[in-house]
Amino acid sequence: MLDLKLEDIDGILVRYNVALEKEMTPDEAAEELYPKDELIYPVAKAIYEGEEDDVVDALQAAIDAGKKPIDLIDDALMVGMGVVTQLYDDGIIFLPNVMMSADAMLAGIEFCKSQTTEVPEPKGKVVCHVAEGDVHDIGKNIVAALLRANGYEVIDLGRDVPVDEVIAAVEKEKPIMLTGTALMTTTMYAFKEVNDKLLEKGIKLPFACGGGAVNQDFVSQYELGVYGEEAADAPKIADAIVAGTKDITALREEFHKH
Amino acid sequence: MVKKYTSMAYANADELIFGQSKFPVKAGLGLEIGAGYTTPEINYAPRPGAGVSKEKLIKEYERITTDVMSRMVQIGAPSIVLETEHVQQMSNNPEWGGAVAHAQKTIMEEYHDEYGIKCALRHTIGDIRETRDYLDLRGDKYSTFMEAFEEAANNGADMLAVESMGGKEVFDYSILRNDTAGILFGIGVLGSMDMEMVWKDISDVAKKTGTVSSGDTDCAQANTAMFIAGGLLDKNLAHTTAIVARAISAARSLCAYEAGAIGPGKDCGYENSIIKAISGVPIAQEGKTSTCAHSDLMGNIVMQCCDLWSNESVEYHGEFGGTTVQCWSETLAYDCSMMNVALKTGKAKDLRDILVLSDKYRDPQGYVLAYDNAYRVAQEIAKDGENNYLRAKNAAIECCNIIEEGVNSGKLRLTRFETNALAKVKADLEALTDDADQFMSDNLTKFKQEVAVFRPENYGL
Repeated sequence: MLDLKLEDIDGILVRYNVALEKEMTPDEAAEELYPKDELIYPVAKAIYEGEEDDVVDALQAAIDAGKKPIDLIDDALMVGMGVVTQLYDDGIIFLPNVMMSADAMLAGIEFCKSQTTEVPEPKGKVVCHVAEGDVHDIGKNIVAALLRANGYEVIDLGRDVPVDEVIAAVEKEKPIMLTGTALMTTTMYAFKEVNDKLLEKGIKLPFACGGGAVNQDFVSQYELGVYGEEAADAPKIADAIVAGTKDITALREEFHKH
Repeated sequence: MVKKYTSMAYANADELIFGQSKFPVKAGLGLEIGAGYTTPEINYAPRPGAGVSKEKLIKEYERITTDVMSRMVQIGAPSIVLETEHVQQMSNNPEWGGAVAHAQKTIMEEYHDEYGIKCALRHTIGDIRETRDYLDLRGDKYSTFMEAFEEAANNGADMLAVESMGGKEVFDYSILRNDTAGILFGIGVLGSMDMEMVWKDISDVAKKTGTVSSGDTDCAQANTAMFIAGGLLDKNLAHTTAIVARAISAARSLCAYEAGAIGPGKDCGYENSIIKAISGVPIAQEGKTSTCAHSDLMGNIVMQCCDLWSNESVEYHGEFGGTTVQCWSETLAYDCSMMNVALKTGKAKDLRDILVLSDKYRDPQGYVLAYDNAYRVAQEIAKDGENNYLRAKNAAIECCNIIEEGVNSGKLRLTRFETNALAKVKADLEALTDDADQFMSDNLTKFKQEVAVFRPENYGL
């Protein structure tokens, strides 16, 4: 077959990812971000490495040294996850690393809860669902994992969720935000029904939507809609709400990219 | 028992070319696919809200069909395939799907009768075998699933297809955790087992109704990996991992043809070049003309040996140049015209190689799918064709070898992350047993524990 000469390839394409690659390895970059406290450091490192058993061992060591289990959630687990989130945002590590770290952090939270009668305080509560008629839930699962990893309590309604069930969950749980994902044009229409029913009940809640066929134009058509292009936008939208930006227009200005 | 492929349909990679397949397929009204010419295949999605009633949905598909057929006649296109991918309302209510097929075919027949345009209608049934909580592959919905094929076939669909979901519950969990064994188990083992069951029954429906059992893809898994991998600057999945999932998917998608399908394979199966090399069936592909649906870093290369050229899917709405289906079908038709001229003038292999080289070194995914390398992956599948697990594992290992050779040549460049991911996936693969029963046993135990929604009974286990 025909082939290109090595020196001709750059004129055909540019692998920008190779050209822009960071100097430091991910492990080196993480090392710079870990907390220095000798009891917290191993927890954060185990979170980064996604090693559930090591997280629990490190938490036990910290508790044995006098740390309060409930404090370790914010002071150690969340700090470790903060390292992971920053490395992901900086393009140094990839989503599977974040997912494994999230699993490790959740195991750590469960361990801390088992060691105390105190109840941890989440940053806020978020209801997540996949549109009625749609069973594709990998996007929702990523969103839920990233929200949990960032300290939010997630009420996961699952996939193919009837509109009325979404409304009932919002009324019951009183979340700071609702998320919806969909793959098909004919299922994402359910988002508009959710929007209309929430408004009928006087509930003005940010409704972050995304997924396969979902686009910003569609989400902008209903009053509560905020479009998330990537799953990683979900915790950022939640953070903005917790920080005080509850107005939908303001959220759109911050997160709508097109 | 299905007859597994253990040899290659093509004697060498260079025989692979667009518009020609070893075993052309006659379908619809005067069309023959893979018989020396390429044909555009337009695919579309109704607008949000069109699914609220049967009448509204039929009207939407009538508009779509009329728009496409009229544009094809306006520009002098000799042939066209329409692919209707069922929305869930149609597959869950087979009578709706049948009514849509009837409405579409009626319009297509009118155009065929008046202008002689060669055309065929493909209906792709939605894989509705699920409940809210679980995949329910062999449960209550199976009969509705098969009924949807039969209704579509009895009412005008010429070709039957599906994008089946078997193995997806394990795959979804595994791909987000870099679990190589899980990816192989989900796609290559569980997915293959499910496809053998499904495609035997779909092919029986096709025989009974005089229609074409056309094919499946691993859209739910390999395309999910490709979609998550994204572009060069995305940070969600290593592209080296995505192409390993793709190589495994070829071993899975082949099961449709082993169970009786005759093609053409569906457009979104980027593994189709590998399939064609082994089976000789005609294939549909999508690339630069599917940017209306997604970005994939393989705009030109996948045209290399297509028989139908598709746009994947576009929402039906207006553009400056007409409706979306008019604009995209016209684009597809001009692409096909170019390929057909190349075939007529003896320049086809030159055009094929230009298409390939415009993307071959863009990304490891395109590199492995270039026809010379795709052929090598195909050989590794056929080598152990009788064993679903081993052939999938062979494909994955050969995929890793091909990428390493590309890197060593200096022409394929990877990021450190992609290189590390490749090293991990290759080491994982090489550490796996060659014993399919042992692999099954190990992974059943593991994923029953780790994946709450995994139900072995879905696979008869």
